[in-house]
Amino acid sequence: MSERVRQAQVGIVGGGPAGMAAASALAARGRSVVVLDEGQRAGGQIFRQLPPGVAPPAGVSEPPSHDHGHELIDAFEGAQVELVSGATVWDSKPGRLWFEHAGESHLLECERILLAPGAMDRCIPFPGWTLPGVTTAGALQVMVRGFGVKPGRRALVVGSGPLLLPTVTALLAAGVEVVAALEASSRWNALRALPGVIGNGARLREAMWYMKQLVRAGVKLRWGWTVLRCEGDRHVERAVIAKVDGQGRPRLGTERTIEVDVVGAGFGLVPAIELGLLLGCDSRHLAARGGHCLVVDEQQRTTIDGVFAAGEIGGIGGAEVASAEGALAAAAIDHSLGGPAVSEPLVKQARAERRASDAMLRAFAPLPGLYQLANDDTIVCRCEDVPLSEARAAAELHGRSSRAIKVGCRAGMGPCQARICGPSLQQLATADPACEMDVPVVRVPVKPVRASTIVNAPG
Amino acid sequence: MSQTADVVVVGGGIIGCAVVHALAQQLPRSTRIVLIDRGPIAGATSGSSMGHLMVTPDTPQDYAFSRTSVRLWNELAERVGGFHFQATGALYLADCDEDLELIPVLHEQFRDNGDRCEILDEQRLREIEPGLAPDVPGALFYPGDGVVLPMLACGAMLREARQWNESIEVRAECAVTGFERAGGRITGVATARGRIATPLVVNATGVWAPELAEMAGQPRLPIYPRAGNLAITAHHVSPIRTQLLEISYLRFAHGAAKVDPAGTDDPGGHAVNMQPQSHGGCLIGSTRQFRGMDRTLNRELLHRSLARAQRYAPALKNVPIVRTWVGLRPYAEGGLPFIGPWPHLDGLWIAAGHEGLGISLAPITGLLIAQQIAGVAPAVDPTPYQPARIGA
Ligand SMILES: Cc1cc2nc3c(=O)[nH]c(=O)nc-3n(C[C@@H](O)[C@H](O)[C@H](O)COP(=O)(O)OP(=O)(O)OC[C@H]3O[C@@H](n4cnc5c(N)ncnc54)[C@H](O)[C@@H]3O)c2cc1C
Ligand SMILES: Cc1cc2nc3c(=O)[nH]c(=O)nc-3n(C[C@H](O)[C@H](O)[C@H](O)COP(=O)(O)OP(=O)(O)OC[C@H]3O[C@@H](n4cnc5c(N)ncnc54)[C@H](O)[C@@H]3O)c2cc1C
Repeated sequence: MSERVRQAQVGIVGGGPAGMAAASALAARGRSVVVLDEGQRAGGQIFRQLPPGVAPPAGVSEPPSHDHGHELIDAFEGAQVELVSGATVWDSKPGRLWFEHAGESHLLECERILLAPGAMDRCIPFPGWTLPGVTTAGALQVMVRGFGVKPGRRALVVGSGPLLLPTVTALLAAGVEVVAALEASSRWNALRALPGVIGNGARLREAMWYMKQLVRAGVKLRWGWTVLRCEGDRHVERAVIAKVDGQGRPRLGTERTIEVDVVGAGFGLVPAIELGLLLGCDSRHLAARGGHCLVVDEQQRTTIDGVFAAGEIGGIGGAEVASAEGALAAAAIDHSLGGPAVSEPLVKQARAERRASDAMLRAFAPLPGLYQLANDDTIVCRCEDVPLSEARAAAELHGRSSRAIKVGCRAGMGPCQARICGPSLQQLATADPACEMDVPVVRVPVKPVRASTIVNAPG
Repeated sequence: MSQTADVVVVGGGIIGCAVVHALAQQLPRSTRIVLIDRGPIAGATSGSSMGHLMVTPDTPQDYAFSRTSVRLWNELAERVGGFHFQATGALYLADCDEDLELIPVLHEQFRDNGDRCEILDEQRLREIEPGLAPDVPGALFYPGDGVVLPMLACGAMLREARQWNESIEVRAECAVTGFERAGGRITGVATARGRIATPLVVNATGVWAPELAEMAGQPRLPIYPRAGNLAITAHHVSPIRTQLLEISYLRFAHGAAKVDPAGTDDPGGHAVNMQPQSHGGCLIGSTRQFRGMDRTLNRELLHRSLARAQRYAPALKNVPIVRTWVGLRPYAEGGLPFIGPWPHLDGLWIAAGHEGLGISLAPITGLLIAQQIAGVAPAVDPTPYQPARIGA
């Protein structure tokens, strides 16, 4: 890519299911589209593709939803869409997306912006979570499915939410033994989601496929268990696990120690709303959908003119929601540019997918007790090495807002800009797991970029 | 809720914290001191600021004032620490003939005050700062300056103050909404969480000090926000290890400025300032603009100051920038802060208006307020900072 300033009718941030579905649909309607994605290939998190030339391990089957993923990718790759992979969007105003690509500073000028940047892992700190070998469930999947790396031999997968299962199967496919898979939510909670899942054929088939894989590998998914701490000398060697009650509080006397060299911890996802906030879009807090979500209307419009959003950014919902919303956003964007009105079935489809995913997420309601796993010495902010005791002292002296905790102990100031610690910091520091987090304050650059990229920003 | 206090300090920035710290040191243990802030402690300018502890030798008065303050910082670092104090010294860089003329002037000022500094030749410059561009035409090194992390310093001061006086109450996230007066003097403070009866109030609210003065029924205090952009790099990538600043900074940053309410670019916008951080990153500042309380980023000025920074430290080019933000310096008319009793209302004191030197000058400011309240001889002549100069 040589031109530093380029134009398109629509600029899309994110090449996951939402971005791909929207891009293909817009191209089919004759719109010029550029998709900017940090990854090296299209697919986003869930349909992550191996780098070109890396073959998947033999004999690996895929869940039924991946048929849909292949359709999306095929349609996308066949469409008149320009994908800029390896592009980091770091600043934006309506109609303008600044990005870094191959060390150069670029600007995309577009009439409409679609934000489809997905989500981040939610981290809940526990003693030993910063030991090498312990990673988020998401990072483990990137390693295994994106780079074809085998991360270890004996794995523990812990956390809460529908992403535990794909983490387990990805590890199994890579030849890793999964010693235990622990879902902190109780079976009782799971029952609440049952009607929603049974009423939705695709989700039921998906769940059955995963269960079959686990049974075949002899992995038992234990409900109402979690990790208390990880231990080891320089690398994780063992994990202490225990039963938890309906609130996620550990039950004394149920501890067990298991030997592992890989731990994937995923306590759900948090919508990646930073770019939306930078653009000035409104957000709202929806605990059941992962926290602060961008506000979108029935046509995926944000509260800022010319800016649309689809997928996890509007609330955690999974790939089906994302692609349905992407298709809907495409129709709405096309309409806003003078195309035909948005058809009712697209709206209905997106709503139905949201309903189904909201129903399923009921099984994984937030568990306040999990915020009691950390002790005084547990690091809560990895970038700045801040232990819980300092975050607590900051909340006591400086105030209870996220800004107060940040200036009081530096938590959230590092390179990740609170993407890792932010979603649980306030609950931990105030010792009030029910407290509602403040909306994060986002500044340029939304992701770290070179100083020269900022200096040479076109426009 | 109603309570009584001997002193209420309004504003939990570096100045308010330093005032509480000095009051705890100078007044009896039994003194009831309340610190109150609308937002977090260190949440406003002091949490958005660089932490250069700067000795300014312009006049003997300036020198005594700033040098004493920096000495107090050194002592605090030795006693309690915890705020990433670094004794880096400061490197003043010249880039043109006009700049080069300033070097001997500054050198003489330090010397006249009996202090030492060094005019560097090419080799010495390379020794002190190997990461610098090879074509910097001149530089002066002053070893007495340092660097702190201002927001952590606020906490450190309050913690030590509480060791001296356990009854100190810190009330964050609670706004002062008004003042009570009777017979020409202060009698209390109204807050979002009840009133506090008190005979003494210190207004240490930085750029909001005029708002608080108005609340007390007083004429407008001439303090104006002067915005500055900052950018921070990732950890362990700083190409520099001393506090660096363009010597041209001295021409416009300090002293009296013309307040331009239209908010046009003032020349300070062009002097870059680079500060090594204890985590191995680098903080890059800082521009100057009068444009009211607006804290939106001026992208053009940011690009310019990063470009200037790269001119001196070329390796910055490939260094990741993690965040940028804007802080508001409280500029007081005439260029000097207001420190002392307000002449028109008994019991009201002011400690505000430190512009770009509030971190450096916080300890001496606190001390001057506390010594005057305690009736002790002040460590430095307080006359130039008396609020009574307004309207004089
Ligand atoms: C020495 C130093 C080093 C730093 N290092 C890092 C670092 O490594 N990484 C990093 O990310 N950040 C760093 N910071 C910056 C960090 O403290 C904040 O990001 C910065 O203070 C300003 O951030 P913000 O405006 O984004 O604050 P926010 O978090 O945006 O502030 C929230 C709210 O506070 C209020 N507020 C804050 N300041 C003011 C003010 N001056 N005037 C009026 N209202 C105000 C506003 O209402 C605002 O909405 C550093 C700061 C300093 C001083
Ligand atoms: C970009 C930048 C770089 C700088 N670099 C340096 C440097 O390197 N060295 C240096 O010495 N100085 C530096 N400064 C200057 C320094 O930051 C300021 O002079 C200093 O922080 C001012 O502190 P303060 O306590 O007066 O104000 P603040 O920190 O703003 O504190 C005032 C407090 O008053 C509170 N308040 C306001 N209204 C109310 C109310 N109604 N009720 C209760 N509380 C209220 C606010 O919430 C706030 O916390 C820099 C400043 C900026 C912006």
